[in-house]
Amino acid sequence: MRRLVAVLVALLLLATGCRGWPADAGDTLAHVRDGVLRVGVTENPPWTTVADDGVVAGAEARLVRRLAGRLGARVEWYPGSESTLMAAVKDRVLDLVIGGLDAKAPWTGSASFTRPYVTTRTVVAARPGVAVPDDLDDVRVAVPAGTAEVAALAGEGAVVVPVPEVTGAETIPVVVGEWRVAALGLDESGHDLGGQDHVWAVPPGENGWQVEVERFLLGLSHAEVTRLLVEAERPGAGS
Amino acid sequence: MRVYDRFEMPPDRAELHRRAVRLEWVTIAFFVVAVSLLAVTLGQSQAMKAAWIEDMLGLVPPVVFLIAARYRNRRPNRRFPYGYHRSVSAAFLAGSVALLGLGGYVVYDSLTRLIARERAPIGLVEVLGFQFWLGWLMVAVLLVTMVPAIVLGRIKQRIARELHDKVLYADAEMNRADWLTAGAAILGVLGIGAGLWWADAVAALVIGGDIVRDGIRTTRSAVGDLMDERPRVVDGSRPHPLPDRLLAAVRDHDWINDAWLRVREEGHVFVGELLVVPRTDTDRLVHRLEELSAFVRDFDWRMHDLVVAPVSRIEHD
Repeated sequence: MRRLVAVLVALLLLATGCRGWPADAGDTLAHVRDGVLRVGVTENPPWTTVADDGVVAGAEARLVRRLAGRLGARVEWYPGSESTLMAAVKDRVLDLVIGGLDAKAPWTGSASFTRPYVTTRTVVAARPGVAVPDDLDDVRVAVPAGTAEVAALAGEGAVVVPVPEVTGAETIPVVVGEWRVAALGLDESGHDLGGQDHVWAVPPGENGWQVEVERFLLGLSHAEVTRLLVEAERPGAGS
Repeated sequence: MRVYDRFEMPPDRAELHRRAVRLEWVTIAFFVVAVSLLAVTLGQSQAMKAAWIEDMLGLVPPVVFLIAARYRNRRPNRRFPYGYHRSVSAAFLAGSVALLGLGGYVVYDSLTRLIARERAPIGLVEVLGFQFWLGWLMVAVLLVTMVPAIVLGRIKQRIARELHDKVLYADAEMNRADWLTAGAAILGVLGIGAGLWWADAVAALVIGGDIVRDGIRTTRSAVGDLMDERPRVVDGSRPHPLPDRLLAAVRDHDWINDAWLRVREEGHVFVGELLVVPRTDTDRLVHRLEELSAFVRDFDWRMHDLVVAPVSRIEHD
């Protein structure tokens, strides 16, 4: 027992002597620094978009480029579905996975999530002049079709009007992310359909790398993230 | 002769027992606080789940001790003609099995993590605007929870020896298991910080093995008690010296030619049968037997309910 403690302490001292704290179990931070940052990206506008020609854009894509710039790394993008990307990040084939990931996503078995760096709320808003009653019962509300908000809204008793995209020109109340309210010239109604904590995924056990990424993300202000999201929503927004 | 002799500990032991009861309430409070502290630092992680299971099992010995403390002194009745002393033995079995279960769980958990080559992620945490590595917070919380477990365990072990209380002893072992696992977790967290992903699981595995050994020993001892094994000292390491001393003292009576004693443990107390061979010319035999009975009772506070029977000869094997 005592010998085990001694060995562990000796190893600790050895390990801290030559690396940062906390250190990666592997070597992710070392190979990213002045090297290549391999990023798995799953399309989830406005966080991430992947064009047909493979160009990756969106708010988080810009943040990744900024992080890579800080570390002197070149970014390699690997588009894919969440399940394939998470399997790859588990075995450190990728260094990072982005795509507007929710902190409640069920990938904790394979990837490690960073601390949530921003919380976005989904709200009911309307153009000035369009009245939104306190009770949504039997009120027609426009919702992006095929999203969880359809059910959330139906739960409030509203009449769901599915639309392909919320443009801000609707003459009825709409469901939008709170960051778009000001950009679309809408007014918030006070109806809140819930929030999402956003995270990035890194290989589990690469704690030095994870802390580096988290430091970067926690340094972002809510306003900064909102600005990036609004810019990413703008038609023709590139990287 | 009173058939049902209500058992009371001598005043000093009774006071010690009351102290033990207070200690067990403190232990329960401590576990509740520890669980909440861990919940705050670890969140709903896998590590939190393990801590939960450990603390739930850690609660078993103090709870069964307190339950047994309510029953052990009840008067014998038609339904329980031997009284309720054995409630302590039943509690000892429950506490021992919980200890064994804890050890088994720690070993299982660390082995599966090792085999799956699971790498524990520990990132940043923000407290009051300060960002620092979550590992430091975990180490601090673990250190804080270690101290009461060490102190409680030490006091309990001492009281358990004096009271011959095996439940309390099993609980002291549980406290030891607690601070050892916390210590292993600290080494593990530091190891993870140093980039050694296996450090956590290996430290837990070593400690888990130690707890399993403890658990097997106390469970064997508890089963032995229920099978009326010859009394052993509270940590089970050797036979209790009291029966031999008592037999020697009985044989010292000049009207007794030979004697034979069989004793079992019922919780705190020893009960059994004493056969004596009186010298053939012994007068007032019944009176002497009653006196002997009183002598045996007064010999030690643990001696209780000893049936004394005169026989003409004893065939020793």
